[in-house]
Parts: sequence; structure tokens; C-alpha cells
Amino acid sequence: MKNIVETFNLTKIYNKQVRAVDDVSVQIEEGEIFGLLGPNGAGKTTTIHMLTTLTRPTSGTARVGGYDVLKEARKVREITGYSAQEAGVDEYSSGREYLTLFGHYYHLDDQTIRRRVNELLELLELTDAADRLVATYSGGMRKRLEIGTALMHRPQLLVVDEPTLGLDIQTRVRIWDYIRTLNKDGMSILLTTHYLEETDKLCDRVAIMDHGRIVALGTPNELKGEIHGDVVMLTLPLEEPDQRAKTVEKATRILVAQTFVKEVQPTDEGLNAYVDQGSSAVPQILHLLEQGGLTIGEISLARPSLDDVFLKYTGRTIREEKGKAVGARAAWIRRPR
Amino acid sequence: MRNAIKDTWYTLLRYLRTFVHNPFWMLILLIQPMIWLVLFTQLFQSITLGFTSGSYVQFFAPGLIVMLAVFNANALAFRMLNDINYGVLEKMIATPVNRYSLIVGGLLYIAVTWVLQVIIVLIVSFLMGASVATGVAGVLLTFVIVSMLGIGLTGLVAALAVTMKRPEPVVLIANLITLPLMFLSSILIPAYLTPSWIQTAMKFNPVNYAILAVRPMFLTGFDWMAIAQAVIVCGAFALVAIVVETAAFRRFGG
Repeated sequence: MKNIVETFNLTKIYNKQVRAVDDVSVQIEEGEIFGLLGPNGAGKTTTIHMLTTLTRPTSGTARVGGYDVLKEARKVREITGYSAQEAGVDEYSSGREYLTLFGHYYHLDDQTIRRRVNELLELLELTDAADRLVATYSGGMRKRLEIGTALMHRPQLLVVDEPTLGLDIQTRVRIWDYIRTLNKDGMSILLTTHYLEETDKLCDRVAIMDHGRIVALGTPNELKGEIHGDVVMLTLPLEEPDQRAKTVEKATRILVAQTFVKEVQPTDEGLNAYVDQGSSAVPQILHLLEQGGLTIGEISLARPSLDDVFLKYTGRTIREEKGKAVGARAAWIRRPR
Repeated sequence: MRNAIKDTWYTLLRYLRTFVHNPFWMLILLIQPMIWLVLFTQLFQSITLGFTSGSYVQFFAPGLIVMLAVFNANALAFRMLNDINYGVLEKMIATPVNRYSLIVGGLLYIAVTWVLQVIIVLIVSFLMGASVATGVAGVLLTFVIVSMLGIGLTGLVAALAVTMKRPEPVVLIANLITLPLMFLSSILIPAYLTPSWIQTAMKFNPVNYAILAVRPMFLTGFDWMAIAQAVIVCGAFALVAIVVETAAFRRFGG
């Protein structure tokens, strides 16, 4: 199998000290849907900016479709389609005009452009709105149009930064369908995401990024398989933050000492304990904590999810990142009005 | 090269299409020079007494033509800031489009709007009794000189926009620069009526070189010395601006 993307110690340092992307070496196979999962500031966007020639690496390099992103940037741009995280559409033009402009920028001939524009408008369900100004489009329509511009030249690799950030669930499912359809036709896809569900449903392989590094890599099932057994999730009653931290610490100390507990991770509401047998662990944990004089809010049992994988490698749940991300986007969109 | 020309053309078309979708903007753009011509000539009517050259319209029309180039300098920057803000510019530079075409296409768009405004100024000032002493040749030479000036100013503000990526500092800095550029020139009143320090400052202002070359073409005849100076100064200014804008663009990621 050929690799569509190969990176070699790819590194980007901002202002001589911030290591946004730190020594990333990864291979993405042709025909894969590959996901970069990570919290804000993990280096996902910087990574794909380097792969789409938008940012120069500080050191290391990458090849896309066999072309070097530094020495053969033009070739890379010709075979890559880039869909940005922000709206990425021109409010002052119609959907049809915007797609046509990108057709010209990819140096396609007029006939091909006309045909592709109609095909894409059809595929992305924008035919009815094609000649309206983009200013009248909804968020979902804008995102579809935006992805459309990256598809005008039928790229070998589609790079999508947060395909469904801030979109409602119906639109998200539709965009996942488009991505799958494109992938079935042989297009390799690299996407970044905050959403575990997106990774789980869509990606053949996932790389979890944190602080500029890839901390885990594999298929969603492989990653989940790394966490054996069950997860016991404990929530603690609301208390003062100091008090709560002490309670979490004490509970952690008690649980870590047990042989049936493999690992304990603090969470927003309390802590997660990773155990071999959930059904037998729950009563034991309750008993131990009660003995230790601790009150528990709620206790529940679950199979490991990608969230747990994420927590294991980054020490944070991805849920706490989501709210921030959506807020940041809203501020961004509001500014120009 | 063929691609570069086509890229420039489609970039220019994209900008101009805005007017098709917003004919009202076009209208404002074309009415604006008329308002200025009428307002300024009415306001300064009485001071023509101190002038060596006939009416104030006659004096001010070439000044307004240069002034419009100064005042249009922001327009491209704002379109580009909008494109940056909406992630459009980023998307464009991820395509194999020619980088210079994106820059030159934008500069040409400003040149086209300016030429349209100049045509309005010429028509209205003729109606108000002004004339161009050197005829069509003088008008064409005016287009050349002031286009270079306009490209220089537009390019610098656009470079600022691409570097700052936010509208607020660009508005502040552009306002800080454009008004003095206009006042430290003989656009509004002849140089000999200004204090000597302003006359000195004028020597460093490309806007003043443009007006010194253009005004005689409207009033008396070709002043080849002034024209040569203006071509050199404004031409160099335009080149510097294109280099600076290209550098800013490269830093942005282009």
C-alpha cells in the first residue's frame, strides 16, 4: 500500500519557544480516512497547515502524494483539497460563483468547471441555493459549499479541519455521509476533530495529539482495546474546589492501593477507575470509600470509550474542551458583522 | 505565464462581481467624487483670488483625481481583511493559484474603480467649466502616474492588513497616514501658500510628486521635468509596495 502522507520529524516552533507541533512522524495510507484527535492547541491545525503548504515547518518535512511540501509545494497544492475550520466562504458571491472561482484557481478548463460545479451542487444539496448570495446561507450550507471548493479538482487527498464543528446533528450526519462517499470513490481523507463520535464513526485510523505530539495511534477499536476491562465512573457531591481536590486525592490513594484497580484518572465531576471486572468492583469500591469516610454522589459502570483512551493519554477528558471550542468559533464568526 | 494571467483575470473578476451583486455600492462609489467636487469647489471658491490659475474647479479637479487614489487605498485592505477573517484567503493560497496574481488582481480592481471615478470627475468638472490643457494624452498620462501612486498606497495598506489580520489597527494606521499624505501635498492649495516646513515635507511625499506632474497637464501643458520625477518616484513607490505586500503575503502563508 502506498502512503499518501508521510511526515518526517515534522516540527513547528512559534516565537522560538512554543512547540506547536513536536517531532511528528506519521504515515497515512492511500484510501484511508485518518483522524487527528485532540484538544484545542494540540497542534492538529498546525500539522495540517504544514501538509497543505500554508505553514512552513521549522524543521523536518513531509511528503504528500510523494511530493515534498517545501520543495514541491505547487504539486502538493494541485493534488490536495483543503477545507478550513472557519466558514471559508465569500459572502459577496453566490455559491456557484465561488465554486467556479476555485475551479479556475485549480486551472481546470471551462467545460470541466461547469460540469463539476453542477455535480458538486447536486451532491452537496445546494442546487436550489446555487445562485443566491452566500450571505443568505445557513451554517450547514456554508460548510457544505466550503467542502465543495476543496473538491473541484477531485483531489487525491482531502484535508478537512473540523468537518462538523458547530453544526447541528443532522448536518453532521450528512457531512459524514459525503466524506464516506468520497472515500469509497478512492479519495484519501485526513481530518481533525474534537468529536470522539466523529472519530469512532468515520475514521479508519486515529492519532491522538496532545501538546504537539502524537501520543497514541491506531484504529478506534485498537485504541479502545488498550484499555481492558470496565470503567467505574464516580461523581463526588458538589463541594468547595479545595475540599473536592482533597476528596479526589484521598479516594485516588485508597483505590490505587487495590490490586483490582488498574488505573485511576481524575475527571470533571470526580474520578474514573479502570478495573478488570466492573460488576464485582463496584461494591468493593463503595465499601472502601465508605470506610475511608468519603461520600459519593453517583457511581456508574461503562465500557471504555475513546474518551477514556483520550483521558489515559492526555490526562483530560475531551468533553471539557468542546465548550471552549464552540465559543471561540462563535466569537470568530461574529466579528466581521 | 498563461496561468498567471488567467489567475489575475479571475481574481479581478471576482472583486468586480461584488458590484454586480451590490449595485448600490457602485452608485455610492460614483456619486462620491461628484459630492467632493461640488463641496470642495464651493467651500474654497473665495481663495482662488490668491491663485495664478483661473477657477478653483480648474485647480482642484486634478487634485481630486490624485486624492481619490489616496482615499481608495483602504478599499482593498478591507476586502482582504474580510477574506482573512472568513478564511477565504487561506483557502485560496492552498490552491495552486499564482501568488502574484492574487496581489495584482486586487490592485487592478482598485485601479479600475479609481479610473471609473476619474471619468466621473472629468465629466462633472467639464460641466463646471474646467478643461484639460493637454487633452487625451494628458488624461492618459495622468492615469499612468496616479495608477502607480494608487498601487503603491493600496499595496502598503494591504500589506498592513495581511500582517495585522484585524481591521482595527489597519483603520487607525491608514487614517494616520492618508490624511497627512493629502495635506502635505499641494492637492488642496498651491505649495507657495504653505509654510516652508510643509514645503520641505512635500519633497518626501509621493502624492505631491503625482499632483505636481498631473496639475500642469490640466492647467497649462506638459511639465516634462515634473512628469519624469513623478514617474520615477511613483513607479519606485509602487514597486516597493508590491515587494512589501508580497513579503507580507509570504509571511501569511502564501
